Amino acid sequence: MVSLPRWLARFLFYLGLSVYAFLLVLPLLNLFAASFKSDGELFAPGFWPANPTLEPYLEALQKYPLARYLFNSAVVALATTLGVILVSATMGYALARIPFPGQGLLFGFVVALLLIPGEVTFLPLYLLVQGFGWLNTYTALIVPFVASPLGVFLLRQFIKSLPQDLFDAARIDGAGHLRMLWHVALPLSAPALGALAALTFLGSWNMYLWPLVTINRSEMMTAQIAVAQVQNVEVTAWNVVAATAILVLLPTLIAFLLAQRFFIRGIALGGLKG
Amino acid sequence: MSVERRETPWTRAKPQTRFRGGEGLEAFLLVVPGVALMLLFIVWPTLNAFWLSFHRENLLGTSREWVGLANYAEMFRDPAFWRSVGATFVFAAIVAPVQLVLGLVAALMVARPFPGVNLFRTLFFLTTAVPTAVAAVAWGWFLHPVGGTLNRALEAIGLPRQPWLTSPELALPTLAVVTAWAGVGFTAILLTAGLQQIPEELYEAARIDGAGSWTQFWRITLPLLSPTLFLVALLILLSSLTAFGQIHLLTRGGPMESTMVWIYRVYQDAFFNFRFYYASAQAVALFLVLLLLAALQFRFFGRRVHYG
Repeated sequence: MVSLPRWLARFLFYLGLSVYAFLLVLPLLNLFAASFKSDGELFAPGFWPANPTLEPYLEALQKYPLARYLFNSAVVALATTLGVILVSATMGYALARIPFPGQGLLFGFVVALLLIPGEVTFLPLYLLVQGFGWLNTYTALIVPFVASPLGVFLLRQFIKSLPQDLFDAARIDGAGHLRMLWHVALPLSAPALGALAALTFLGSWNMYLWPLVTINRSEMMTAQIAVAQVQNVEVTAWNVVAATAILVLLPTLIAFLLAQRFFIRGIALGGLKG
Repeated sequence: MSVERRETPWTRAKPQTRFRGGEGLEAFLLVVPGVALMLLFIVWPTLNAFWLSFHRENLLGTSREWVGLANYAEMFRDPAFWRSVGATFVFAAIVAPVQLVLGLVAALMVARPFPGVNLFRTLFFLTTAVPTAVAAVAWGWFLHPVGGTLNRALEAIGLPRQPWLTSPELALPTLAVVTAWAGVGFTAILLTAGLQQIPEELYEAARIDGAGSWTQFWRITLPLLSPTLFLVALLILLSSLTAFGQIHLLTRGGPMESTMVWIYRVYQDAFFNFRFYYASAQAVALFLVLLLLAALQFRFFGRRVHYG
């Protein structure tokens, strides 16, 4: 086999990387470019706008209460994340560190729930939430997802892997389980909590089918559903649709760029559940 | 340390070994809220899904009546249902290999460190941060019949424009590629993690034996990565069988119901065709298929799970 000179091999490697990365990001760049095009320029040839304008953003923000939609999504995603952390930490701690009758059974129950594909129980869940009078409320988008078997499972595994000595030391100092949970288990579980938080936030922010069926009052809509609504109305004004989509993309994109390792860890762990 | 402790067991209460009454209450308080929520929002809807599927709306639509297995009998005779099932599996059969290959190529390039690796990891993993609705809109515009960049590029090199999302033949494969694209970051992350677990020494030994990178890939990387690949393939399959958002945004099940996948038909029947209970039966059937796949995943990987 002919071996290439080192500099050429390196050049080709970076070229391949760049081309692949460019092709992967291309649809997003294309959307970004469209969001700065005026109505007149939208269907003209040229990838980038010749005269970039903020008109599509202004139009999107004027015609639709996008700030409200983004606020709704933020409230839902943050509350769900907080709830999942709380339930997972308390249940995970009890399953890992407090011996009580039926512990093995309860852990088996949580593991069994991991198998249940939640995406397809949305019809009975809809009836339940409707019965509670929760349609068109934040509650419908938050409470059903707060008890996450995956979260409990991950934190139970993590807390169980922490060194026993630390808990012994705390116990000798007279700490009860609540204090050990708060002062020992939680600080040490920061990597797992961060990963779970990132995973949960992303999942909640991206929810589509569930808010679509439980929310129909405009002011309660989440950002995802708003994108669908704007796209439905602005049939030809793709620049306005693009501007809306970019605004909806920004929060998760910024969160991803800032806390990339938590997202990566969360996805790696979430994928390895089982 | 531990030896010393074993010699003097009376210096510490024996934690973690025997149940003590006071702890029971603490455990109970920590566990009950979560268990109650799981019972109410996971277990009950799952059981109720089956119960609902044995019912049907009465003629006035005011209440429901027991019909036994009638919904299932109708389902098995319903060509529309089988078309959805077919579309779902065709969809998944395209998504899985495309997403796996796209993700594998990305993972192979960034698994080992090199100058600038973080930038490329960010770019390759980026689609994880893209919500379904945004991905759908991005592709809707990218594939637009008139203004879309792809059709413009095709025209520029002398090929005809394609009705990517508006022809019954192309819409489903196109949606599958969009879905695969949206999942590339997810796949690349999992496969990168898998690749990083292959010991570097194996490659060094292979290089000393004169193996080229092609041989290394087929003899070391692929065999050692195959459990991860299999797991990721299952995960992709599971998620593609319930893909909804991109279909709702881009084709609404059309044209000519060519993208009316299983879950979309459930949604359609339940909320637009006023056949909530018939939809429930179809949802239960999908549930069973997914459960089977999840059980397969569990069977193969249940014991591998550890928090590293």
